[in-house]
This record gives sequence, structure tokens and C-alpha cells, in this order.
Amino acid sequence: MPRVGFDVGGTFTDFTLSDAAAGTLTHVKVPSTPDDPSRAIGDGLARLLAAHGAEGRDVEFLGHGTTVATNMVIERRGAATGLLTTKGFRDVLEIGRQTRPHLYDYGQRKPEPLVPRRRRLELDERIAADGEVLRPLDEAAAREAILELREQGIEALAIALLHSYRRGEHEARLAELAAELAPELYVSVSAEVTPEFREFERTSTTVLNAFVGPRMSRYLARFAEATAALGIPGEPYTIHSNGGLMSIPTARRHPVRTALSGPAAGVVGAARIAGEAGFGNLVTFDVGGTSTDVSLVHEGRPLATSEREIAGYPARNPMIDVHVIGAGGGSIARIDEAGGLKVGPESAGAAPGPVAYGQGGEAVTLTDANMVLGRLGASGLVGGDMPLDAEAARAALEARIAGPLGLTAERAAAGIVRVALANMTRAVRAVSTERGHDLAGFTLVAYGGAGPLHAAEIARELRLARVLVPREPGTLCARGILVSDIALDFVRTEIRQATPADWPEIVARLQAMRAEGEAWLDGEAVPPARRAHEMALDARYLGQNHEVRVPWSPEAGDLDDFLALFHATHRRVHGHALDGRVVEIVNCRLRAIGRIEAAGGGEALPRGEMPAPVSVREVYFDGEHGWLATPVHDRGGLPVGAVLDGPAIVEEMSATTLILPGQCATVDAHGNILIEERYR
Amino acid sequence: MNEATALHDPILMEVFSNRLLSVTEEMGHTLVRSSFSTNIKERKDCSVALFDAEGRLAAQAAHVPLHLGSLMGGVQAALALVPVEDMVEGDAFVCNDPYAAGGTHTPDISVVTPLFHDGRVCFFAANIGHHADVGGSVPGSISGQSRTIYEEGLRIPAVHIARAGALEHDVIDLIALNSRDAVERRLDLQVQVATNERGRELVADLIHEMGLPAVERALDDLLAYTHRRLARRVAALPDGRHLGEASLDDDGFVGRAVPIAVEVEVSGEDLTVDFTRTGAQARGAMNVAPSATHATVYYCVKALLDPDLAPNSGMFRAIRVVLPPASLVNPDAPAACGARSITCNKIARALFRAFAPLLPAERAMSAGHDIVPAIVYSGPRPADGEPFVYLETVGGGGGATLDADGMEAVQMHMTNTSNLPAEALEHEYCLRVVEYALVEDSGGAGTRRGGLGIAREIAATRDGIVFSARSDGHETGAPGLDGGGEGARARMLYRRRNGAEEELSSKPSRIVLSAGESIRMETPGGGGLGDPGARPAAALARDLADGKLHETNAYGEVLASRARDLIKRARLAQDEDGQSDGF
Repeated sequence: MPRVGFDVGGTFTDFTLSDAAAGTLTHVKVPSTPDDPSRAIGDGLARLLAAHGAEGRDVEFLGHGTTVATNMVIERRGAATGLLTTKGFRDVLEIGRQTRPHLYDYGQRKPEPLVPRRRRLELDERIAADGEVLRPLDEAAAREAILELREQGIEALAIALLHSYRRGEHEARLAELAAELAPELYVSVSAEVTPEFREFERTSTTVLNAFVGPRMSRYLARFAEATAALGIPGEPYTIHSNGGLMSIPTARRHPVRTALSGPAAGVVGAARIAGEAGFGNLVTFDVGGTSTDVSLVHEGRPLATSEREIAGYPARNPMIDVHVIGAGGGSIARIDEAGGLKVGPESAGAAPGPVAYGQGGEAVTLTDANMVLGRLGASGLVGGDMPLDAEAARAALEARIAGPLGLTAERAAAGIVRVALANMTRAVRAVSTERGHDLAGFTLVAYGGAGPLHAAEIARELRLARVLVPREPGTLCARGILVSDIALDFVRTEIRQATPADWPEIVARLQAMRAEGEAWLDGEAVPPARRAHEMALDARYLGQNHEVRVPWSPEAGDLDDFLALFHATHRRVHGHALDGRVVEIVNCRLRAIGRIEAAGGGEALPRGEMPAPVSVREVYFDGEHGWLATPVHDRGGLPVGAVLDGPAIVEEMSATTLILPGQCATVDAHGNILIEERYR
Repeated sequence: MNEATALHDPILMEVFSNRLLSVTEEMGHTLVRSSFSTNIKERKDCSVALFDAEGRLAAQAAHVPLHLGSLMGGVQAALALVPVEDMVEGDAFVCNDPYAAGGTHTPDISVVTPLFHDGRVCFFAANIGHHADVGGSVPGSISGQSRTIYEEGLRIPAVHIARAGALEHDVIDLIALNSRDAVERRLDLQVQVATNERGRELVADLIHEMGLPAVERALDDLLAYTHRRLARRVAALPDGRHLGEASLDDDGFVGRAVPIAVEVEVSGEDLTVDFTRTGAQARGAMNVAPSATHATVYYCVKALLDPDLAPNSGMFRAIRVVLPPASLVNPDAPAACGARSITCNKIARALFRAFAPLLPAERAMSAGHDIVPAIVYSGPRPADGEPFVYLETVGGGGGATLDADGMEAVQMHMTNTSNLPAEALEHEYCLRVVEYALVEDSGGAGTRRGGLGIAREIAATRDGIVFSARSDGHETGAPGLDGGGEGARARMLYRRRNGAEEELSSKPSRIVLSAGESIRMETPGGGGLGDPGARPAAALARDLADGKLHETNAYGEVLASRARDLIKRARLAQDEDGQSDGF
């Protein structure tokens, strides 16, 4: 039965169909239609099914990732939104943490709040930190405020009151009043969006959710219509930024969670594919046209964070921690006023693109440097659809970089690649060694159009154990959706000391959250046998203002066991522990999971003899090597068990893989290319 | 050497500078992650750096601009104590003194570690952290009213904190015993030593990969490149000498304003910053030690001319700084200098003003609030009755630029620390936030107006909460630029339970609050830029509709009525199509 995953990007929408019975993976790429993304979805799905010779009713599973919400925030095209908040706090959204975004550059400004001050209204009510109601909600004033915002033409309403994570009844009452007085509004309530303390971040997340809510609801409805029109049965899923799938009703309630989900899907896919190949400690390395996304996977689990921002606005929902830098194939190389060679973060993008694309680009890019070095072939990208002009790239590079530096074209091109690699290497260090991980046991999983081209050098410099290049590395985000679990993260702030007196409250809270998770899994129609719950406590020493996350469930032991685990975790993360000091619990966390059936796999892979290279070309390598005659292989023809000694190049539709002299590549049983150093 | 660039190898230099950044970033991570002091951990009031064997700064990760280059004095003090050829692998030095060891104030403690290759010193790893307390007359060791440095806690010249790989526990015990929290001091000092040890491993890797000669060449290139890049930016400015002025409300003791005057001179590639006309040293702790004055100059030059410039000795070499003796910016021992950050921000105000006529119009900025108002509440903690001290520095209005109004509610210049969320504060302390808001009408009028200040009103929820503050900007507001108006001044109000209100001075000390009483701080707004009459009517309309502005006198009646008209029309348009984003 075919399973379909697709990723709606800003430029392209990528589709992957996996048919385990037939042993095939099918890919289709269509231009995105940002005005109504469901058009590209409908077209692409129809083409994908036709390519595979299947009908809509055959589709067993359909999941998708989308940048629709992210782009809405970046372009500020969300709904006119109002905010109801506690008296004295309407400006929290605008003050933020009172910091400026850059220490030195005053040109970088705090983003304008998504709700202007005239649509932020205060209510006379107050709840204390311990949950006591200091002032009851003034309902008459609340009614007036809702009507006034409605007068102002809002389409969405965010409700965020002080200490609502502790006691949510005032927020809940406001939501009732809004439903009564203005039933057409999309309403987001902070205690439902993220019941976590720290008012600015909770308010910001709630406002983001409201701001994207109405348009995301319409988009999801049209998406469901498009799939139904193709006869696809069953519930379509949407992936969220922590790499789990949600049904459409959940996505409508938590649309903010779909932001930044595309890269998260790629990391999930990378973790799953590498896991099947036997590797659990990974650095994922996704190089596209303008940026490089790097993240760390430890023992099979992608690292999560709640500290990320969407276009400068904090979003407190858990997300896979993806570190993004401005270095990609389109990054522009230039010599600055003081004679330094810089690469990026400015990018030639898709238009005009690199000089070699012949679309009018004049600035020398990383892609042009790779052309001059023979690393990218002239037949170019996307299976030869777009021939590349190596001569134009060389001429531009000589005029703009090599000449002024007094270097040959190839030395200058190699310099551009080295500088770009230095930026990428720094990003890999930032997510790994800077967090205390030793890379010697790690695998670099390279994907995106330009990841496999640069991975071998990164792995050699940082002494990673190996590089893994999955099949079709350009479409990993869409494939990641096929291997994701249904999952949702829940959080409750419960600030209590970890003492025998308060411990039962913590245990009770975790159990209540598990019931909440079960109820959600009921709604997602996950059968009991496939359910799982992962729980954790965020805790700190009394007086600290930052927390350590400790995986914990009521079954894991008693209070003393938890304290021992907390001290050990604190020592690992921060280098010391204070055994006598009182420990304070801050947040209870739960991830409710519905495991999917083992997907993918079983695709037919070529077997048999190693074919001859499709061509041999001159490729330039650093150091003592210089130009070397390098065999070029077509990835589709490489059988399981194939062995390639570097230097070698492997080409396929969506990417080019480079293997350095002194390295050796093999094709494993799953069709992945593994690159290791021949001598260590 | 390459003719066109005058660098040995620009490619290697770029690779090397990325590696240096990785090294300092990782050292900074180790320091922040492992330390215990709130100041280091939460407020990131710390820095790490690498120096070469001659004491030239190679790279620095400065989390607060006040530390720009301020580790240099510590390295020089270590070199003065032990000649470089007599240093032994595993040695490390500790110091804090502004007079004897190039520090900026006593709570900032530096640790300097020589790094060896083939038996000789090739680099120094150094870091500085703001410790919560180093003794002295008040908790936290800083009071505007300190008259000498002896009231500001322990003075540490450069001394060994480790010798040949063994920690000097005697020294650590001595420092710890002089602090109000000995346990934290011990932990933090050990973390500082360990941070440099991490630097040692990382530099050893770097030298192993590149070889020492290549490293040395790349460092020479990096310093030459940085110097040249800044010199080019200076050369692009018109020659001339310009004065910038600012003033402190007082010198720590009420009643005497302190003038700051600084002249910036550009002549070809040469940049001179001359403080000769700045006044005598303060009676209280508002003095700025020379390393902090230098840091302020470096910060301003970087922010105004090249925000991405790498901080290293190549940058510093391009700037000449003249400091008169026995002055506010170069005090004689034993003047107190604990409360220097407010003064540093006022120096930055004067420097931004002095640079304004030199810069292209789009780079100039009017004055922001330019203070670092610190509020301190103390009392027993609700959880266990143990004493708490809650300190926060409050942001204010930002300066306006040619293409944008000043940012509302931000930290300026030498600091950029976060607030404490009301929900965290109310949980931890016997305090309640009554209001946290923008101060309406506080932005200086202008074509681009100044940013709005912050009002923060906090009430005691039990008797006996003690309040103190160090602030400024009560006497003079942020001046406008090119015809822009002055931003609103700061105010502090003591609100009694019976409803009575008392206006406080900028440096109230030890006010004892009863339950229900509150202190309200209103920080200054930013100054405006350009003629208020030229402000776009839509921008004025937006401010009026948002209630950020009520008083339209500065803008004139014609503009104000056009703005009100726009608001009316927006309402009408909204009635018609049910949707409007305003003006």
C-alpha cells in the first residue's frame, strides 16, 4: 500500500511515495503556489499517483510538512489579532525581555509586535503566583473589551493572563465570553497553547498561534478537500516542529507548532535512516542553496529545545534544535575592502543564482567554485534538466577573486570552498563539541542538494567516524514524514520543592498529564498497542533561574531516586552538583506517542556486479594532490556492497557526492553510501 | 606576501579566524554553563579571550561590551609578575584590581593561563566573570556612595591561582572568605580555571592541525587585516574634530552634576578620542577605571563604524585614546569605581554625539536613555525565609535614526541584560509587579521620535522589604539630534499604603517597605531625530491610536489634525469592509 509524504517549501513542493510491497520510492517535485498552497498539493499528488500508477483510494497514509505558518509570520500576513491581558501588562508583548537583538548593530531592531498596542486591552483581574485569586474577573468589562476588539475588526483573539499556567479559570471564562459574543473569532488561550510560566514567552506563543490560526484553518480545510477529491481515504497528517505527526483538528488548534517543521522532518528522516543502518550518534548536515542546517542526534534522539524564535518572536513549543547558518551553494564570495576573502551570508538564491546557471548571475558563488574544481559536472542538477556553464563560472572567478588575490583560478576556487567549509565546520562544532560531545563516535548524515558535496571534508577535518549519504538526499524532508510517529508534547508548570511533602503532587500531575495524553491519542485514533508516553521533569537548585531536564516517570522510582538522577544530570550538564541544596521542580513534561508501523525499507536495490564509471573527469583537490583523474559513478547503478576508493564522485538526480583521496565509500544493505577514512 | 591584499594568505586567515571564534565560543559556553553566580550564568556578565605570547589580543567573545579589551590589563599584570620565560606549564593567575591589575571594578575577577607549545608560551587563555559579591560595605560590593575602593571589597593584584598544574587552595580560600557567599566563589573560581584549561586543549588542537608557524602567520594577518579594515572606515570619514557632551546627575552624592566632554578627531586614517575636557574624579563610585573607558571607546567605534569588526589588538591599534589624570575617566587610587556602568553609558552618549557630524546621515543616532538603572530589593524568601537579593537593571527608550523611530524599551550601549519575568519574580520573592509598561509620551519628538521608556512598579507583599537603587537621568533627558526633541526624564515614586506619593532622588538607599507599598521606576525615553513638523502624519496617527502619544504640541496643530483625520478615515474604512490595519 502506498504511503505518501510531502513537504511544502517556499519554492518547491516535494513529494515522496513509498510502496513497500512493490519495493519502490517515487519522487515528484512541483513549484509551490504560495497564494493557495493546496493547488500545488493537488497537482503534485495527482502527478505522483499517476507516476506510480496508483489511485487515490490506494493511499494508506498521507502526511505533510509546511512552511505556510512560518512564511505568514515572516511576511506578517496573518490575521488581524487582538490580545486580552491582565491589568498592568498590556506592553509585555512589546517590551519582551528588554534586550536589543544585536549588541553593536543598531540597524537590527526588535520586531514590531504582531498585535499593535491599540488592540491589546487590559482586564481588571489578578491571580497570584500561588494561584490565589487576588481580584476576580470583571465580566462586564470583559464583555466590553471583546466587543471593542471586534469593532476594531479582529479575526483572531489571543488570551494571556498572568499566572494562568497555575490557574486557568479566568482565561477559560474569557474564551467562553468570546465564543458567546463573537463566535466567528479564532481564539487562542495561553494555558492551552503552552501552560508554562514566564509571561512574555507564553504570551508571544499564544499570539503567534492566534495570528496564524484563521489562515492555517482555511489552508488545512482546503488541503483536506484536495486529498478527498483525489479519493484518498483516512486522516491526513501534518508534521510539527518537534518531529511528530498531528491530525487536522490538532493542527487547527496548535497551528504555531507547524512552524519550522520542514527541517525537523529532515532530522527525523536522517535519524531513522541512520538508525536502520546501525548508527545512533549523528550530526545532520543539510546544505541547500542559501543555508546550512545542522543538528545533533544523540543515541537516536534528536535534541529538542523550547528556546527557538520564529522571525524574532519566541515560540515556546518544543522543537528539534536545528542550528542554521547562512552558507549554501548560492553563497556569494567576495574580497572585502581590507583584502579579506568572505563567503556568504549573502546568497545569489535561485534567481539569478550562480554564474554557471547562466541566468544573469554575476557574483561568484560556492557552486561556481565547485564547478571550476570539477566537483560539479557540467550536466548539472536535476538529472541534466539544467546544464551548467563551467566556462562562465571560471571567467567570473578569475576576474573577481583569483586575479585580485594573485592566485590561479583553481587555487582561488579551492580557497572559496575552504572558507565556506570553515563556516560550516564552526556550525557543526557549535552543536556538538561546544555541548560536550566527542565527535569521534559520530556519523555525519549529509543531505540537501549540496550536503553530500562537502560532507567528506567536514568529516575529515572534525574527525567524525564516517559520512552517511542516504538515497535521494535532496528529498529527505518529505521522506522524514513517512517515518515519523504521531506525537504531541504537553507541558505544565508546577513550581514545587522536591520534598516528601510535595512529591505526591508532582506524581499526581504526571499521572493527570498521562490521562490527558491518552485522551489526545484517543482523538487521533491510535490503537492502545502502539501508544507510548515519555515524561520528564524540568528542575533546578533553589535560587537558580535555569532548569535541567530529567527524563522521569512515576514508575521510575521514588523521590530519592529522582534526586540522585537530578544531581547526576546537573553534574553532566553543568560540571558540578550541590548535593545538600534544595531541588525545585519547575515543569512537568509529557510526549504522547502513537508509533507508526515500520515504514519504508524493502525497496528494490540493485544487486550484482560493480559497473564501470560513467565517465572520468579532472577534479581539483587541496594539498599535495592538485588535479586528479576522478571516476564518476551514477548512483542508480551502484549495487549493494559496491566499494569506491577515493577520489571518486557519485552523481544522482538531486545531489553529487564527493569522496576524497584516502577515503573509501561503500554502499550498505539499505542503499546508503558510507564514507570512511581508509587509514586511521 | 600578496601584493593586492598585503596579507600572507587571506584564505588561511579566514579559516583561522573561524577556528579562533570556535575556541572562544566554546570557552564562553564552558564558563556560562558551569558557573554558579547569577551574574555569569543568567546575565552573561563575563567574557573569554585569547592573547598571543606578547600579550596581543587575538580573539574575544565578549558577552557585554564593557569587557571589550578589558582582559588585556590582567594579562599585562601577569606578565609583570612573572616574566614570560619564567612561566611554567600549568600556572594560572587571578586578579581584579582596577589600579594594580587593569580591572574595571572589584567584582569582575579575571583568570589568566599561559598556554605552552614545545616548552614555551605561545598563547594566553583568559576569562573574566562578574562575581555576585567580593565583600566590602554592601552586599554585591557596589554602592554609588562608596568613597574609596577599600569599601568595594577584596583587592587582588595578579597572583598565582594555580602553580605547575596544582590549584593554590590558599588563594581560593582567601578570596572565598572575603565574600558573602564563599561556596559560590569557590565554585566560580574553579570554573574560571577550568574554562582556560578547555582553551588550552582547543588551542593545542589548532596548533597540531595547522602548525605553529602557520598559526603565527595567520594571527599576524588577522591583526593587520582588522587594523586595515578599521583604518579604511576611518579614512572614509571627513577630517575634523568634534565635541560630544553628556552629564551625570551627580557623582554618587546628591547635588553635584558631573560633566563629561569628549573630542573625536579624524585625520586621514588616524582616529583620536580625547577626554582632556572631562571633569575631575567623582567623590562616590561613579569613576571609570581606564580599562573600562577604553572598552567604552572600542564599543562605540565598533557600533558606529563596523559592527562586525573582530575585537582584537589590530582594532585597538587603530584608535588613540587620551585620558587626563585624576579624572572621572582615569581616577587616582584609591577612588571607588564600582558603579561605573552608568558613567560608561553616558560616555557612550557623548561619543555618539561627537561622531554624529562625521557619519553618513543614515548611521547617526540620537541619544537613547543611556543609563543603567539598577533596582535592588531584599528581604526573606517566601519558600524558606532565607534572605534574597533581587537586582535588575531596567531598559528604556532607544535613540532614533534616519529611517526608524527609537526602539521602545531596550537596554542601551554597554549592557544588554534581560528582565526577570513577573511570574518568576512573584514566585521567588515577597514582591508583586503592579505594572510593567511603556511610559506614554516619553519619546522625544522628531521626524523620527525617540523610543519609549519603561515603567516598572513593584510592591512588597510583606513588611520589611528593603529597597535601594542606582540610577540617573532625573535631571537631564536624552537630547534630540538635528532638531529632534528631548526624551522624558526618569522618575522614581514611593507609593505609600495610605495613597501618599513621594518622589525619590536617583540613588535612594535602604528604604524599608511595608506590605502593599510600592516603588515605581520610570526610565527615560530616547531623544528625537529631525524636525517634528516633518513627521509623517500616518506615524503620528499610529502613535495616537496606540496611546503611545497624547501630547501633540511638539508636532503642531496642522499635523495633529491631519493625523486625527487619518484615524477617523481608517475607522470608516473599517466599517465598510470590516477589516483594517489602520493607516
